[in-house]
Amino acid sequence: MTEAQDLPGRAAAAPATGRRRGRWPHLALEVRQHMPGPQQALMLGASLVAGIAISTLVLVAAGVPAGNLLDEFVISIFTRPRNLANVLVYTAPLVIVGLAAAVAFRARFWNIGIEGQMIFGAIGATLIANHDIGPEGARLYLMAATAAFAGMVWMLVPALLKLRLEVNEIISTLLLNYVAFNFLLFLLYGPWKDPQSAFPHSKMYDAAERLTRIGFFNVDTSIYLAFALAVGCFLLLVVSRFGFLLNFVHANPKMARAMGVRVAVLVLSAALVSAALAGVAGFVISAGIDNRMTQSFFVGYGFSGILIGFLARNNPVLVVFFAALIAVLMVAGQGLQVFYQIPSSMVLLIQAIIVICAAASEFLIRYRLRLVR
Amino acid sequence: MSQAARSRAPAEAGAPALRMKGITKTFGDFVALDEVDFDLRNGEIHALLGENGAGKSTLMNVVAGLYAPDHGDIEVQGTPVRISGPQDARLLGIGMVHQHYKLVGGFTALENIMLFNPRGSFRQSRTAVRTAAADAADKLGFRVDLDARMDRLSVPEQQRVEIMKILIAGASIIILDEPTAVLTDAEAQKFFAAMRGLAEIGNSVVLVTHRLSEALSYADRITVMRGGRRIRTAHPEEVDADTLTELIVGTRIVEKPAPSEHVGAPVLTVSGLELTDAGGVVRLRGVTLDLHAGEIYCLAGIGGNGQTELVEALTGLVPPDAGRIDLAGHGKVTGLPPDRLRRLGLACIPSDRQGQALAGDLTVAENFAIGGVLAGRFGGALAVRRKPMAEAAAAAVRDFEVMGVRSARQKAGLLSGGNAQKLVIAREFSGAPSVIVAHSPSRGLDVRAAAAVHGHLRAARDRKAAVLLISEDLDEVLLLADRIGVMRSGRIVAEFPGGTDRRTIGRAMVGHD
Amino acid sequence: MDFLFNWLANIPPFAVPYALAALGLMICEKSGVLNLGAEGFLLVGALAGVGAILSAGASPAAALGIAMLATAALSLLFAVMVIALRVNQVISGLAIVFLAQGLTSLLGRTQGWTSRSFSGMPRIEIPWLSDLPWVGRILFSQDPVFYLTLVLIVFAAWALRNTHVGMRLRSVGENPEAADAAGIPVALYRFGAVVLGAALMGLAGGYLTVVISNIWVDNITGGRGWIVIALVIFARWQPLAALAGAVLFGGIEAVIPRLAATGFWVPQHFLLMLPYLLTLGVMVWSSLARRGRGGGPAALGDPFLREERR
Repeated sequence: MTEAQDLPGRAAAAPATGRRRGRWPHLALEVRQHMPGPQQALMLGASLVAGIAISTLVLVAAGVPAGNLLDEFVISIFTRPRNLANVLVYTAPLVIVGLAAAVAFRARFWNIGIEGQMIFGAIGATLIANHDIGPEGARLYLMAATAAFAGMVWMLVPALLKLRLEVNEIISTLLLNYVAFNFLLFLLYGPWKDPQSAFPHSKMYDAAERLTRIGFFNVDTSIYLAFALAVGCFLLLVVSRFGFLLNFVHANPKMARAMGVRVAVLVLSAALVSAALAGVAGFVISAGIDNRMTQSFFVGYGFSGILIGFLARNNPVLVVFFAALIAVLMVAGQGLQVFYQIPSSMVLLIQAIIVICAAASEFLIRYRLRLVR
Repeated sequence: MSQAARSRAPAEAGAPALRMKGITKTFGDFVALDEVDFDLRNGEIHALLGENGAGKSTLMNVVAGLYAPDHGDIEVQGTPVRISGPQDARLLGIGMVHQHYKLVGGFTALENIMLFNPRGSFRQSRTAVRTAAADAADKLGFRVDLDARMDRLSVPEQQRVEIMKILIAGASIIILDEPTAVLTDAEAQKFFAAMRGLAEIGNSVVLVTHRLSEALSYADRITVMRGGRRIRTAHPEEVDADTLTELIVGTRIVEKPAPSEHVGAPVLTVSGLELTDAGGVVRLRGVTLDLHAGEIYCLAGIGGNGQTELVEALTGLVPPDAGRIDLAGHGKVTGLPPDRLRRLGLACIPSDRQGQALAGDLTVAENFAIGGVLAGRFGGALAVRRKPMAEAAAAAVRDFEVMGVRSARQKAGLLSGGNAQKLVIAREFSGAPSVIVAHSPSRGLDVRAAAAVHGHLRAARDRKAAVLLISEDLDEVLLLADRIGVMRSGRIVAEFPGGTDRRTIGRAMVGHD
Repeated sequence: MDFLFNWLANIPPFAVPYALAALGLMICEKSGVLNLGAEGFLLVGALAGVGAILSAGASPAAALGIAMLATAALSLLFAVMVIALRVNQVISGLAIVFLAQGLTSLLGRTQGWTSRSFSGMPRIEIPWLSDLPWVGRILFSQDPVFYLTLVLIVFAAWALRNTHVGMRLRSVGENPEAADAAGIPVALYRFGAVVLGAALMGLAGGYLTVVISNIWVDNITGGRGWIVIALVIFARWQPLAALAGAVLFGGIEAVIPRLAATGFWVPQHFLLMLPYLLTLGVMVWSSLARRGRGGGPAALGDPFLREERR
């Protein structure tokens, strides 16, 4: 061959280059075969600590005296019953959105539209409340069921588009959040506006349409509902045949299909259950906390749900734990807002820092760094 | 390019072009290469023989700079070197054609060569590479359309582009990883003629292969590897096929044909199956065959002639466009989904083990039990019962000698190829199926594991099951078949009784009747 | 007639952020990095531009530069996550959006940038050409970034096909193993693509505040980042097609206030849904049109590690 003759210089320099590089010790990356469960938990725990440490620095930089942080985040919450009650109030919807995320992610369905489904859930519940549909004794149940149904209806389009046309569900569910939000505004500024108020929200629910207090400050029955749903999701995902097969859909959809698992049906069901849960979360906030539908009741829950589902590795039991953790963060955030004028977006920022740290820990679980000489 | 090699070092024929000493490479706990020595002379074709997993490809990936060895020394043309990346290897005149080609599918052939060989500005590069490529193709006797997109070229054409790519980069040490696995006999012959031409002008060629006949007929020297070690280097005239087999396999495992003693009535009848895939390519053109109880029907043929699609149609993954499938006692089963067919007694061992047969992140017990769960065993819809599941899996692991399972809760992805396959077989055979479709079940397995797989298939046949074995390996076909069909271009082009001679079948496979 | 004319003349400023962000996203994704963080990068660019003007007294042009730098700085975090640490690219992208939402809202409030208006970037009247009837006002009487955008898009379309760097970038996204074997530093190219792409998204975000709104409020990008992701799919990762898509979305956005002003009977909130519904429609259309062939980089979303044993 003659074509290489025009680059003898390049070739002549070769051995020297080959020798020079690689003399230096450098880090090489290896794929780990497997890391035992307890060690993985340790890694995740360490990453949470790192996230909290970074968040502390951010808070101090924003003007909260370092000495007061422990007081705000731990002492004041666990020594003052009113604050503990507030944590429980926020835990309930957070558990439910966390479950919504976990169920969908188990099917490898990225439901980023939790907020949109919450909006439709609340709209469904408010529809029942506004028109006093059904006997008063069954009103709340009817509201909850309608909320779940409305959430599912809102999921139907993205789920079918994904299964039929492979339209990316991340984008479709997210876009529908904006559509749902505009629809909510339309209702609250238009036909459903409370005539007795200058603000855009619906009429107050009647007494029969509010979740009853359980006798511990403002904590209502939604906390029971949340735990019941967590148990239900545990049975669904861990105990039932549906959950067993869904694990295969998650681990290897191609194999599941070859074995005869009806993958599309399972994914659709999981997406609909997820959306129903999100709808119920919308109902819980409206009928438990606000006693009406407001224009911003859902804000932030979508992200928190994703965060909780991710940290809990889609495990319903861990969802409860992490939801409580985020609820503590939210209540402490309110304290910061009142006493130090820290905007509520700080809570969002801290959650983002935590999710980034937790995601980064996956690296250490999956790979091993090794010094090569 | 031989001149380029000479300009860099006085490469006399017979002098060592490449010398490796004490190369060791581990992946986690697995020792892939254990103190391997290897030398390659200028002007020779050197065959590197061994089974899958013997370490041949790993050793050559070290030379190509893709793997960094844990320790060991490398010399190129007498100079000690350290190869810490593909770029180093290439500057040293080392070029490797990998088993899976390193080509960008969406690029043209020319763009692929340019990507590898930038020459000045983009515009100059385009002209220079076009000339160089035409020149190289000429000398090798290749014909390649440089402006065709890579994913539209045939596999042999892609291979030619790979070789041109490394030659234009100035490679004088040419490593070919299983180059003929995808070629027909005639194509392979042409290919070796071109490689001999390269060696004659001073290049050295490493031929990584597991085919004895190739090594014996085309190589100047042969090195045998086994279990990550070099076993022996010899000239072809010093060894014969039997000796080589023994060197490759270690202790001798010889399987003997054992034809079926009683072939019964047809169980699965397939007639006129036709299938066109999503891309509009016709994959099956009227496949017709009968499968009898108590026989192993082997479907021989070069991969990509419709085997995968036939398996998909038979197992209910893809409904055929035309034709019908009948199962004795159940009538027409065409188009039924996989779970229904499985319940009627169909089992399948797919070719892509980790991709289609197992979920690596789930446990051995779960992977074993999913078949049972789908058939309604191990608890009801509301609760699956984990304990019987684990017990059944543990029993199956014992019965089918799946090694490396410490507990049924271990992840299936941690099993080696052979043991993973045994687990798949254990699951598929647990329902005592009447029809078994096995697609290349021993591919990538060592001899011992392959023998175990064969034993299980024979045992199933002796239980009066009908076995359809689809294989590209003629040795396997000859060993197991009670009847042989040959598949080519989406058709069954010939059928032979078991024990037909190899050449007749081979001719039917490539279409030289 | 006046309605049509006013509408057309107003499309360019609405189309520019879409076009710039789509170009940035496309460069990032051409290298194989799936970037769902677009909304976050837009937000950071938008706030940085406002901050530069309100707190540093920067000129609008300098503010846009600062928007690009700030976004590029944030993208380093994203790049480390997806390229060095190989974190799931979906999670990483979402995390970036949430981080940016929290960070921009927090900074906007603590620095007092929220809801304070300022004067933006003037238009340039190109001599003679801007006096042409019709096209003069539509094409030759816009702000400088509009012209820069056109130049960038055309240049990118050319450079991707006709330069070594462009070809290597594409190869890294199509088949990183092949690119690696050809001696191309895969991680470096991906890093560069992420940072350059983010800088362009930062410019798009900065444009939204510095040139169009002249004010910062929380989440001012209003989901444009997500629309851009869909737009890039719709454009099949082709710069010129993305420009066409940007004009389409800019057109819709420009028509909404005009329709509302004419007393069109549809309630305003339904009009505001239009861009999102249109985006969904475009996704469906792309999916129907491609039928199996994605047109996207083949290795999009896959991390690359040479030592990985297959």
